[in-house]
Amino acid sequence: MSTNTYDAIVIGSGISGGWAAKELTEKGLKTIMLERGKNIEHIKDYVNANKAPWEFEHRGGRTQKMIEDYPVLKRDYPLNETNLDYWTNEKESPYVEIKRFDWFRGYHVGGRSLMWGRQSYRWHDTDFEANLKDGIGTDWPIRYKDLHDWYGYAERFAGISGNRDGVPILPDGDFMPPMEMNVIEKDVQKRFKEFYKDARHFIIGRTANITVPHNNRTNCQYRNKCWLGCPFGAYFSTQSATLPAAMATGNLTVRPWSIVTKILYDKDTKKAKGVEILDAETNKTYQYFAKIVFVNASALNSAWVLMNSATDVWEGGLGSSSGQLGHNLMDHHLGVGAGGRIEGHEDKYYFGRRANGIYIPRYRNLNGEKRDYIRGFGYQGGGSRENWSRDIAELNIGGAFKDALSEPGTWTFGMGGFGETLPYHENRVYLDKEKKDKWGLPVLAIDAECKDNERKMRIDMMNDAKEMLENAGVKDVQGYTTEPVLGRGIHEMGTARMGRDPKSSVLNEWNQVWDAKNVFVTDGAAMASAACQNPSLTYMALTARAANHAVEELKKGNL
Amino acid sequence: MNRRAALRNMALIMGGAIILPSCLHDDKGKAVVKLNNLTVDAEQEKIVNSLTETILPKTDTPGAAELGINLFVFKMIDDCAGKEQQADFITGLNKFADAAKQKMGKPFVDSTDKERAAFVSSVEKLGKDKNYKDDSKLMAFYQMVKGQTVFGYTTSKYFMTKQVVYELVPGRYNAMFPASKATV
Repeated sequence: MSTNTYDAIVIGSGISGGWAAKELTEKGLKTIMLERGKNIEHIKDYVNANKAPWEFEHRGGRTQKMIEDYPVLKRDYPLNETNLDYWTNEKESPYVEIKRFDWFRGYHVGGRSLMWGRQSYRWHDTDFEANLKDGIGTDWPIRYKDLHDWYGYAERFAGISGNRDGVPILPDGDFMPPMEMNVIEKDVQKRFKEFYKDARHFIIGRTANITVPHNNRTNCQYRNKCWLGCPFGAYFSTQSATLPAAMATGNLTVRPWSIVTKILYDKDTKKAKGVEILDAETNKTYQYFAKIVFVNASALNSAWVLMNSATDVWEGGLGSSSGQLGHNLMDHHLGVGAGGRIEGHEDKYYFGRRANGIYIPRYRNLNGEKRDYIRGFGYQGGGSRENWSRDIAELNIGGAFKDALSEPGTWTFGMGGFGETLPYHENRVYLDKEKKDKWGLPVLAIDAECKDNERKMRIDMMNDAKEMLENAGVKDVQGYTTEPVLGRGIHEMGTARMGRDPKSSVLNEWNQVWDAKNVFVTDGAAMASAACQNPSLTYMALTARAANHAVEELKKGNL
Repeated sequence: MNRRAALRNMALIMGGAIILPSCLHDDKGKAVVKLNNLTVDAEQEKIVNSLTETILPKTDTPGAAELGINLFVFKMIDDCAGKEQQADFITGLNKFADAAKQKMGKPFVDSTDKERAAFVSSVEKLGKDKNYKDDSKLMAFYQMVKGQTVFGYTTSKYFMTKQVVYELVPGRYNAMFPASKATV
């Protein structure tokens, strides 16, 4: 038994799990990080990262075989030939959709830190106070001041490039130098500023791609192949950043192929004493023991682990006493925006492939404005110059057509909205009673949908996008919208929310499970509301803050 | 890049799933390209090969055949198109052959480059006619071939190294790069 005993257990190795491992080991705790999937070793296992486009058999496309094998992933852009191995095998790990929910998962060391979008934005007090003001869900037990220093701490280590724009709603961070806008983005920005003054902002994206060397990582090489794994370690991932830091302490053990099936609850101490795992390769069961457990399995799977840890004390699972476990599932709703054509600048192009775009922070329902919905949305977008895909009039075949294919085409600009989704109690996940995965474990049923507030917001999201582009001189502007589907934002949140009261929340202000204080949940599950900013930076800050608290409490003998 | 090297590279890229078209000439009925899902005979194969070359002919730079783009087109239709699309591909291919023969009085592959180009241009024009109904799937076939031909060409090693400037590791971002040839 002693060989299975550590100071801390971290369940999951993605963005928040990696941070938990780094923080806990750096503070001297012997820690084991349990990852349900395979290992992916930094650089060595990024097998496609150095391939040229023509070296992919289908040039990155999707085959019928892939479409058959990945019935969920095929619904959106992630299904592709270049990083197929990074996406969860859906046949082995199914789930039940009561309503359509696009769950795009990564079961391997690093989790979705390898494939994430890297956009990194702080929250504002407007976001933390929103539930209280609107009387929705439960009040966040923290405010911006509680996370301020931790945001900075996370930014300085992760390496976030961005411009200090001074946008009130989107606090500036401790940034590396920003990436540059291309010629038409600067053009659009100029006209945007002339029209909107300081009422709306058009800024370069803040991204977890480093622009100067940092902690033995090479700065971004502008390859735009981030989701293959970066051989330069230029974007933040578990592998490039938190894992090497944690390993350097000598305190970390990583165990891949370890599906945590339950947290072991001790009813005498009212704490967790460890976890039970199923070895995904051998199907053998093992137990690991520790003083604290960090649950970082991603929002839905963290809820799964807690729910699957039911005991006669907690029949609905560990953390279920409030009746909120698995509920209040949120995402960002997207698939709505606009695009158009830019005239001029035919003599300009850009060199390098910048894995970043522009951002328009939220401006709706602020400063006293009241729309027919609450909360707001932001936009991500960018300008680019088409090449071969343009339509060349009267020149559709032949030698001249062939030559024209290598000439730059039309400048285009497009952007899409990311809207806040409210925490509805009835949007939830629960353990399905019948369906089992490859290992005989119960699977999640997901029952969630966008409602009236999101649908009303989407009308503004399209119309505002069109209007802003037209006001900024974009031509032939076309708006688009789609039926909103949750999961598609790949920002699952809320299934074990933080709160001020154990009667209405799963976690307290330090991400501790009310029902077992030595269990911490610091991934998307902890979120009490969704805001409209990309959430990962907030998970990093929450995790570092919670780990610090955990170690302090441990030292005080409180855990 | 010389022709044989280009084909050899193409064969390597395709993972050995095809054999070199230089063996093409001896075969009468069977297609040379090796396919898993699609069934085409030698005549049909030649039409597609010839069509890709008509879309992107050899000039002072290599054309579709020399770059093995025809093989790429087959590969993509075979692996990536759905069953229905594949059925449309074959139906449309036969219709394309019939229409060409009717218009030129001889098979598409036996026509001159000029005749082929004129015929394909007429198909292009038809595709822009809003009243045209593609019941015969001719247009579906043509657009599949054209789309994959252009895609295959613009993502080929030849194109990305000789026609445009592709660098695997750009190392920098220049937001005000002068436009001559596209950087990708």
